[in-house]
Amino acid sequence: MLAKLMKYEIKGTARLFIPLYLALLLFALLNRIINPFGMLEASENFNLQVLFSIISITVYFILIIGTFVMTLVIMIQRFYKNLLGDEGYLMFTLPVKSWQHIVSKILVSMLWTILSFIMAICSILILVDIDNLFEEIRQFISTISDIFGSAGFFTLPYYALLSLISGILMIYAAIALGHLFSKHKLMASFGMYCVLYVIYQIVMALFILVFGKKSFNSLISSPSTSSLDLNNLVLSFSIPLIIILVVNFILTNTILRKKLNLE
Amino acid sequence: MSNILECKNVTKVFGAKVALSGVTLNIPRGKIVGLLGPNASGKSTFIKLCNDLLTPTSGEILIDGNRPGIETKKIVSYLPERNYLNDWMKVADIIGLFRDFYSDFNEEKAYDMLRRLDINPKDKLKTMSKGTKEKVQLILVMSREAQLYMLDEPIGGVDPAARDYILDTILSNYNENATIIISTHLISDIEKILDEVVFIKEGKIVLTKTVDEIREETGKSVDSLFREVFKC
Repeated sequence: MLAKLMKYEIKGTARLFIPLYLALLLFALLNRIINPFGMLEASENFNLQVLFSIISITVYFILIIGTFVMTLVIMIQRFYKNLLGDEGYLMFTLPVKSWQHIVSKILVSMLWTILSFIMAICSILILVDIDNLFEEIRQFISTISDIFGSAGFFTLPYYALLSLISGILMIYAAIALGHLFSKHKLMASFGMYCVLYVIYQIVMALFILVFGKKSFNSLISSPSTSSLDLNNLVLSFSIPLIIILVVNFILTNTILRKKLNLE
Repeated sequence: MSNILECKNVTKVFGAKVALSGVTLNIPRGKIVGLLGPNASGKSTFIKLCNDLLTPTSGEILIDGNRPGIETKKIVSYLPERNYLNDWMKVADIIGLFRDFYSDFNEEKAYDMLRRLDINPKDKLKTMSKGTKEKVQLILVMSREAQLYMLDEPIGGVDPAARDYILDTILSNYNENATIIISTHLISDIEKILDEVVFIKEGKIVLTKTVDEIREETGKSVDSLFREVFKC
């Protein structure tokens, strides 16, 4: 059932993301071909070419920012509209558990967030001619492995993915909490997000105060930080993140199961 | 077990407002039941409780012996009073969704009804009128071979000419062991197909009788009895 839910979630979102990605890549390619940056440098006074260059660059930047804004907006809109709006009447009468709805939406949101990053990087690679691209990448990788050791290739993606899931769930929990209000649900959701965010900050700060002192001291006092220490630090920071993630998940699921009140 | 739906002392409170209070009701299999009451009498709340869209404040609802949940959703086909269709989908897409999630969905039946109602499966739901969307939704719901159909205001938004067709559709598309619960305040239109009626007023059941009993005991039609009971 989870796979089926994801299938329809991907269907419902791909029609928005695919054109956006295509536009982004197309404009990157267009900018590469007409080379507006070069034109701006070459031209001495204002003319049509300059105007055209400025427009072309502007559109590209709007698209790149727009890709990330859209990723966030669609993430919010899918949860709000598809589960808590009129479409919720269908979704919640399917023979599916409420946690499966949440998990399918998280996984698909993760997919699009990661794809948005990849697309943004691809568009930059198309736009800018980097000499020895593979050499640069190799250097980047070796820099990471110098600092974090080879374990860094596990701990860093692990922490990044965990942060992503935690971020998405905080948004879902905020929307679910906002839904409990009888009026101004979107405003209430925004307010709830602020509350959850402050709680998250407090938990993180407490964690550093209580448990982090030791690891920080050893990091600061030792002349050269070992990659083992760094990886341990990353791993220990994932503990409060997991706690917050689990609490937000239980909160969202309980509201959807027990307190659902579709209009 | 002979009853498809059993409610024991079900109460639902929203804040300070009591939407349903102490509803006890048994609905047998193989009946067409009218859930009749004026606006805001608790009809939709009752149906939503049966479909797990709301949780009762107290009391218990059993459908085929189970509390509302995954097992009951497999055998209950629910038509909300809302349009719940995803606008971006084509009719064929939403049929695919029903086929994917409900094992009792009869795809052939759905396409057959679409053809008879002149609805093109390739059309996008976005471009359809409100009435057509309601018809699509009813087709989806009636194409399931469910044990309990719960139809909330199924004929509210369509013109009187289409109402007869829709009632025929309802009648010709359910098997004899299934029960249909229809909530409405348009009684005269559906009176002829009902076996039993449940009158609901301000969250309380005020009367449960078969249509035959009403005719024999009072000599009145359901419609005129309704007007009497709910006289303002």
